[in-house]
Amino acid sequence: MLTVESLSAGYGPVRALTDVSLTAPEGEITAVLGANGAGKTTLLRTISGLIRPTSGTVTLAGRDLSRQSTEDLPALGLAHVPEGRGVLAELTVEENLRLGALGGGRRATGEELARVYKLFPVLRERGNGLAHVLSGGERQMLVIGRALLSRPKVLLLDEPSLGLAPKIVTQIFDLLRGLVRDDGLTVVLVEQNARSALSIADSGVVLNLGRVVVREAAAILAEDDGLRHAYLGF
Amino acid sequence: MQQLLTTALTGLTLGMVYAAFALALVLIWRATRIVNFAQAPMAMITTYLALVLIDAGYSYWLGFAVALLSGLVLGAALERFVVRHVEGKSEVNAVILTLGLFIVLHALAALIFGSRYRSFPAPFGLRGFQVGDTTIALTGFGVFTIVAVGVVLVGLVLLFRGTDLGLRMRASAFNQEVSRLLGVKVGRMLTLGWALAALVGSLSGLLIAGGGLVHPSYMDGVVVYGFVAAVLGGLDSPVGAVVGGVLLGLSLSLVSGYVGSELVPLAALVILMAVLLGKPGGLFSHVRERRV
Amino acid sequence: MARRQLLIALGALVVVVLVLENTSQFRNAQFAAMAYYAIAAGGLTVLTGLNGQLSLGHGALMAVGAYTTALMLQDKDAALPLVLILVIATVVTLVVGALVGVAAARLHGPYLAGATLALAVAIPGIPLYFSETLGGEQGLNVRTPPIPDWLADAVFFVTGQDLTPIRYLAYLGWLGVIVVFVLLANLSRSRVGRTWQAVRDDEVAAELAGINLGRARVLAFVVSAGCAGLAGGLMALSARLAAPSGFTLTLSLLLLSAVVLGGLGSLVGALVGAALLTFLPQVVTGFGEDAGLTDVQAAQLAPLIYGLVTVLVVLLAPAGLAGGLRKLIQWRRST
Repeated sequence: MLTVESLSAGYGPVRALTDVSLTAPEGEITAVLGANGAGKTTLLRTISGLIRPTSGTVTLAGRDLSRQSTEDLPALGLAHVPEGRGVLAELTVEENLRLGALGGGRRATGEELARVYKLFPVLRERGNGLAHVLSGGERQMLVIGRALLSRPKVLLLDEPSLGLAPKIVTQIFDLLRGLVRDDGLTVVLVEQNARSALSIADSGVVLNLGRVVVREAAAILAEDDGLRHAYLGF
Repeated sequence: MQQLLTTALTGLTLGMVYAAFALALVLIWRATRIVNFAQAPMAMITTYLALVLIDAGYSYWLGFAVALLSGLVLGAALERFVVRHVEGKSEVNAVILTLGLFIVLHALAALIFGSRYRSFPAPFGLRGFQVGDTTIALTGFGVFTIVAVGVVLVGLVLLFRGTDLGLRMRASAFNQEVSRLLGVKVGRMLTLGWALAALVGSLSGLLIAGGGLVHPSYMDGVVVYGFVAAVLGGLDSPVGAVVGGVLLGLSLSLVSGYVGSELVPLAALVILMAVLLGKPGGLFSHVRERRV
Repeated sequence: MARRQLLIALGALVVVVLVLENTSQFRNAQFAAMAYYAIAAGGLTVLTGLNGQLSLGHGALMAVGAYTTALMLQDKDAALPLVLILVIATVVTLVVGALVGVAAARLHGPYLAGATLALAVAIPGIPLYFSETLGGEQGLNVRTPPIPDWLADAVFFVTGQDLTPIRYLAYLGWLGVIVVFVLLANLSRSRVGRTWQAVRDDEVAAELAGINLGRARVLAFVVSAGCAGLAGGLMALSARLAAPSGFTLTLSLLLLSAVVLGGLGSLVGALVGAALLTFLPQVVTGFGEDAGLTDVQAAQLAPLIYGLVTVLVVLLAPAGLAGGLRKLIQWRRST
């Protein structure tokens, strides 16, 4: 569904990504792992067009994304939940959600909103309140719900577990697994919390200093002690 | 008592005009984090365009409409082609850019329209209303001023809070990157923001000119008062801009009436410093901390 | 280091003498104007370039210096030596600058710009209000003080020509430029200057390094205000008048754009900016009249060009003309 080929990108003289290739198959969760500064966030930002790659291509469902600007991507089926969540705190919860649909090209129907509220009941309670009163876990749910409203084919998630209690992380990850199973969503999950990520992922890609060092099925990755110690910290 | 009422009414009417200008500044600030000091000569030029039509015999309302429309176009063009290049970068550069535009627009106006003082009509009359035996300081034009700014304010509130477009504009103003990721065409929203702001600025230019004299520098004081009003209300708050404008208008009217009109700019400076050093976020700020 | 500066200063003095002695009265007057613009611009470029504080109100500070000078010269009999008068004008403006600077130290970016803009518009109103003492709309006439005999003799001895009042003012102005620029150059290179730049570049880091932000900012403002005051005093002497109409908002904006064009933080840039402010209008107006514009219209060409070039500089070469030239030289060297 999403293919990245030989992608290189940098910030000025600093090379953040070198020759990165990966495939996120349809209906699967692909985890992108690695230490801080390994290039995981840069990878997502380059896929989204916020960073111009110096070489390489990104293809979504066969379509080359290199000539698309960032704001056109949701309509093409790519939703990116950025690092830090990207909650628009001065808007209400419902306005955040509606914005997700608008970006995808049309207004949210009552049914679609209802579905998101069913997935995340706590959001319905907060519906008309400003988004900045939400807790970390609630914010994460909000931005996932918002992304879902754009009817994405591929969902990019940047460190959703950051700053959240383990119980909430489990809750959210279980939900993600459910969405993939029920809707055939393709997910690229960037995480520093490798253990949790691997528990729901189908395959894993490990980055180190901007390069891919390991590409393996999640189960195998989770078992391999040497690899885990070297790159994933557990 | 009579003088107090007169002062208050004059202040209210003038305050609404400052409110309109402050509103223009706030709209642009929210969208692009730039204080558009060039808004004053922009409004001056659109008023001159109206004046050219009016002097040629066309109706005031045609001139009015042309001024507002040209404001829209001017604001959009400036954002798209000039200001776009400094958005998001150094604050100092943005300020210097607007000042450069200030100088350019001033000189262009003087070059094209001349520097002499010209009178500008005021619809609905400049005679105070009769209440019983006395004439109060509220004129037909004054009422028009208050109503016009009120209508614009309501229109903007409806746009921002009630429409999808307004939602997209607000999102773009809060966080450009997140909005882009959500599929909002941020560039277009910013252009639209500047266009609307310039429209409001043009309105204030027409209202200030009404019944008075137009010349290239006639809006220069307004940029200061508009800025003070905007800061007073909170640079992020459109409602604050209006409240700030009215409060400022009333205060300055008091100073003008009881002290002297020459010291009005000084009074504005004092108010500005009091707000910036006391409550920098302004009266209506809901942002936790604001670096001024 | 100091010896090199002394040599440059002496060299500059020689150049000044040569130029002033060999040009007409009209040119002398222009050079006198360039001198006070240079002093004001020097102070402003240090404030804005080194310390990052944007001031739109320096025209108003020049007014303070101008009016102080004018007031001290009102009484014919009690006249102090001219240099002392200018020093007093500078000091008074320093004090005003300190007051403004303390208030301004807490403000940044557009807030500072707006506050100084308000200052620029507010100050001219004061002489209008106190019109008896401060001359109102007409302003105060400034009596040109007599040239000291010893100076007239010395100049005649060196150059063989008489010292006219206009040339006297030009010398005074350029002496001021040399002294002020040496001071500013030393300040910029010293610890004080580095502190100013640190505050401009990263406040948090500067504070962590133990720098008192407020004090650094106020000092920068005070120094630039002093320069503006001196410039204002010289301007009043040249124009023989101190009036509100001489200190419009436009003056402050033109000063700022001159500094931007020359290059923020560069003293050479300040000289360039001052030269532009002094000489460009005449050249450009001449072109305009030749092209068929009326003289009133042609007079608008100069500010139009300043504004346009300022806009272009911000868009294309934020380091100003001096900086742009430097980059050009570096680029040529590397290719």
